[in-house]
Amino acid sequence: MKILLIEDDREAATYLMQALDEAGHVTHHASDGETGQAMASSMDYDVLIVDRMLPRRDGLTIIESLRAEGNKTPVLILSALGEVDDRVTGLRAGGDDYLPKPYAFTELLARIEVLARRSSPSEAATSYAVGDLSLDRLSRKVERAGDAILLQPREFRLLEYLMKNAGKVVTRTMLLENVWDYHFDPQTNVIDVHMSRLRSKIDKGHASPLLHTIRGAGYMIRE
Amino acid sequence: MNRFARLWRTSTVRLTAIFIVLFVIFSVLLLTFIAYESSIQIQQQQTAAIDREVNILKRLDVTQGDRATALAVQRLAALPGPGIYYLGNDSGLQIAGNVSDFPDFVMNDQGLFSFNYQRAGFDEDGTNSTQGFAVVRSVLLDSGLRLIVGRDVVERRGFTNIVLQGFVLAVAGILVFSLIAGAITARRVLKRIDVINATSAKIMSGNLSERIPVTKRNDEFDALAESLNAMLDRIEGLMQGLKEVTDNVAHDLKTPLTRLRTRVEAALREKGDATSQREALETTLSESDKLIRTFNALLMIARAEAGAPSGAFSEVDVSEVASDVAELYEPAAEEAGMSLHTDIAPAVHLRGNRELIGQALVNLVENALKYHEPTDANPGRIGVSVRRDRDRVLIEVTDNGPGIPVEDRARVIERFVRLEKSRTEPGSGLGLSLVAAVAKLHRGEFRIEDNAPGVRAVLDLPVTSAA
Repeated sequence: MKILLIEDDREAATYLMQALDEAGHVTHHASDGETGQAMASSMDYDVLIVDRMLPRRDGLTIIESLRAEGNKTPVLILSALGEVDDRVTGLRAGGDDYLPKPYAFTELLARIEVLARRSSPSEAATSYAVGDLSLDRLSRKVERAGDAILLQPREFRLLEYLMKNAGKVVTRTMLLENVWDYHFDPQTNVIDVHMSRLRSKIDKGHASPLLHTIRGAGYMIRE
Repeated sequence: MNRFARLWRTSTVRLTAIFIVLFVIFSVLLLTFIAYESSIQIQQQQTAAIDREVNILKRLDVTQGDRATALAVQRLAALPGPGIYYLGNDSGLQIAGNVSDFPDFVMNDQGLFSFNYQRAGFDEDGTNSTQGFAVVRSVLLDSGLRLIVGRDVVERRGFTNIVLQGFVLAVAGILVFSLIAGAITARRVLKRIDVINATSAKIMSGNLSERIPVTKRNDEFDALAESLNAMLDRIEGLMQGLKEVTDNVAHDLKTPLTRLRTRVEAALREKGDATSQREALETTLSESDKLIRTFNALLMIARAEAGAPSGAFSEVDVSEVASDVAELYEPAAEEAGMSLHTDIAPAVHLRGNRELIGQALVNLVENALKYHEPTDANPGRIGVSVRRDRDRVLIEVTDNGPGIPVEDRARVIERFVRLEKSRTEPGSGLGLSLVAAVAKLHRGEFRIEDNAPGVRAVLDLPVTSAA
């Protein structure tokens, strides 16, 4: 994946580029807003990672002008401002996801991989399939190896989100944000309990599990 | 002089000055109008009087002859007063009257004239002649004699003078009185403002507990002082809160930071293998995550307590939020050997911050989960209920755990307070403080009641909580 990182903290940028490189991505770096915007509009990236507070042009302005130019590259906003209001302003400016600082690298990586435009099935897909597991978004039916699986509405949404991002890591925070639409931070393992319930419904009695726990990061559904 | 300059700069004095100028302009206009109108009136009356006399004398001349007329004119002329009389023949010889010297146009023409003339015989000694102004009617009688009847208008002039004098006096009086009144008012206002200024100077120099004295007069200055004092109270409260936050942050972040540092230091010193170093790093990471969490909670509390911008307030479906939270925690409760029950009235709405209300509920449910060790004899039971009571929304989270002793109930809401028994449980000690801050932000109340046994945590919020 080709990534543009616009971040003025050189140390953080160096570390992030190295980690992204290890994850197999090509990363370009701009350390101020103007350069960043110029690079973003002249080259084709899969994801932009934009810090909100930048010298010479702030992150939200960059995103707004890119969107005005018709540039639809997915943007992940990084910000030291983590309040709900700030998140709303960021997304309203045209950002696709918002990650408050300090963040865990696994969280960032999971988010940009989900964001990247190349790899995601279209939003409009009416059904997903992973191995012998299939999910029909219209009839809300889930089947594994031909057997119907009965899911609670929330379990259905959980599975839907996982399958939409099949093969990619989704973190607990991402699940809480996208399935429950809350941005707070539960201290106990609430998500894990939901996941283990879901797992018992889709994987129990099958030889190869589909729902995997990725240690230190989150979950992934794959063959 | 400086004092005067200061007085002059006050708005009261300036307003008084503007008022005086306007008043003078208005008075001038009014008095000019009156003077003009009355002078016309007087002129008309005088002209009417003159015409009457002329008519009488004309008739006298016709009925009784020139002699009687001359006699009448002579008698009239002899009367004291402003009357001007003249009777002469066509060759310009005066027969009777008190004035002889008329301008040519008066002597040659007929009609009403006004002109300056040399006045004689009005003075005591009769020698001094003064400048006079006359209005006269000049007519030719049927017998060919010229009759001139008129008035010296010194009277009229006198009236104008009286009006003018009165006007000057009045304006002078107004000026003096309003200046005095203005100065007195301004000084009083200045005095009150000086008090306020002195107080704010003291406050700015660091004494935040200073307040503006409120008098018993209950006037607009007292209202101002009261609202300023209320503002100062709020500021002082916020400063106090900030100081507390800083103190607590210093205390409760420094402790884990020190622990973190020690751990890293120990790992560096020990020449352990890669595995133990890795372990040390992993603990460090989870410690720092905990720190971030504490820090976030503190920030959230501070923002909520400072009365975060109510721009984030919107219509919140509390029932939905509570159902979401209950649904989110139901499996976790079951896992912990407890049951979670809901009693949520449908569609209870209020104006507020959905995320914060959700977070508060999460904190309450997590507390209920955390501080209860269910046994077979006492299976844990957590209740989440939402109901509307008139204009209040009551959100309750109940448990049947060990409960909180009455004497500790107020204390647990404070930041970082964790009862001895719970020291071993994970958590920042900020959960309930955040709930209290959320209640405060929504202009509501957070209470901890006895559920006998257990805790009944009540979030009591007004329906329209937007200020």
